Amino acid sequence: MDDVHLPPEKLIPMDGDDSGLWKLFLIWLGLGFQSFGGGASTLILIHQANIKYGWMDEDAFVRAWALSQISPGINLAKLTIIIGFHLRRWMGLLVCLAGLILPSALITVLMTAGYAALSSNPLMQAAMRGIQPAAIGLSFTMGFQMIQSIFSTAYREGRARFGVHFVLLVGGVALAFNGTISPIIVMLTVGAGTVVSLSIIPANKAAAGLEAR
Amino acid sequence: MDMLTFFWLFLKASLLSIGGSGNLPFLHADLIPMGWAKEADFVNAMAVGQVSPGPSGLWSVSLGYLIFGWVGAGLALAALSLPPLLAIGVVYFYDRVQKYQAVQYFSRGLALGVVGLGLAVTFSLARSTIIDGFGLVIMVLTVLLAMGKKIPVIVILILAAAAGIIFYQS
Repeated sequence: MDDVHLPPEKLIPMDGDDSGLWKLFLIWLGLGFQSFGGGASTLILIHQANIKYGWMDEDAFVRAWALSQISPGINLAKLTIIIGFHLRRWMGLLVCLAGLILPSALITVLMTAGYAALSSNPLMQAAMRGIQPAAIGLSFTMGFQMIQSIFSTAYREGRARFGVHFVLLVGGVALAFNGTISPIIVMLTVGAGTVVSLSIIPANKAAAGLEAR
Repeated sequence: MDMLTFFWLFLKASLLSIGGSGNLPFLHADLIPMGWAKEADFVNAMAVGQVSPGPSGLWSVSLGYLIFGWVGAGLALAALSLPPLLAIGVVYFYDRVQKYQAVQYFSRGLALGVVGLGLAVTFSLARSTIIDGFGLVIMVLTVLLAMGKKIPVIVILILAAAAGIIFYQS
């Protein structure tokens, strides 16, 4: 477990020239280009690269991913920043993030531009009428996938807790439904509601043991 | 169009959101009433964001382009890249407070809230976009295929595009 705190120079050679940084940039450039099809495939690619290059051990990687979920912005950008900072401090952060984001952003814009030019094409219109409902389906799926681990934790904590989680989620959807309440208010309300209700309702014993871990 | 306001709206949305599509409700709430973006711009930007490489959170770069061209895309990208830097601070802070139970509960609650928001906005988009049985079938099939995690998203979208062409062109 000690390699969580391995000094960066043991992971990527810190020689006088910037070959380490350049190599790091090329690796992340490759990750950015390969990860067609949204965040899930990007995360899988980053995870594979992490194992291949031995940047972080599995525990540190999972913790980095968890912490990526609780601060503002794109989760994958935060994961990239945490890994880059871990490897080579600020330059590592910059190089990894630029490699991941810049080519992807350029292609995103070109595809949008292409779409704007093609959008009057009947064939393209027909294709988009197929893609749009699929994009909405993917958005729903991502929501379901994002709550899966929370709900499986809640399930282990007992029926009462599981029910509370369900109510909190539905409550969040209901608060947000009209779009009249500020999203940040919705999140803080659900966050506060979770603290209060989970403090009142205990987890069952087996899960409480897990939780204290 | 006011570049500073544009940048601020995208930066604010990114700062207040967790996750790549978390900025959607904020941008939706700000840009639609201002008349800068239409419902269709959001749907198209999200579709491009799903197909293009990299984090799907780059969808708002696509939205920036639709509103304000290359300048909009650049401003949106800059606004997206700054807030994630706060993660470095979070790592240090979390190491200090993670022992408290309330912190763990609150972060769980934030996750529930952000998913709830995403679902609510997706319902809103679905109401304006899915106008016939074919759209509904595509959406349900997508959910079923994507939940399995075996089929790459790009394949699902290509299949959906092909289905659209076959259904609407004939």
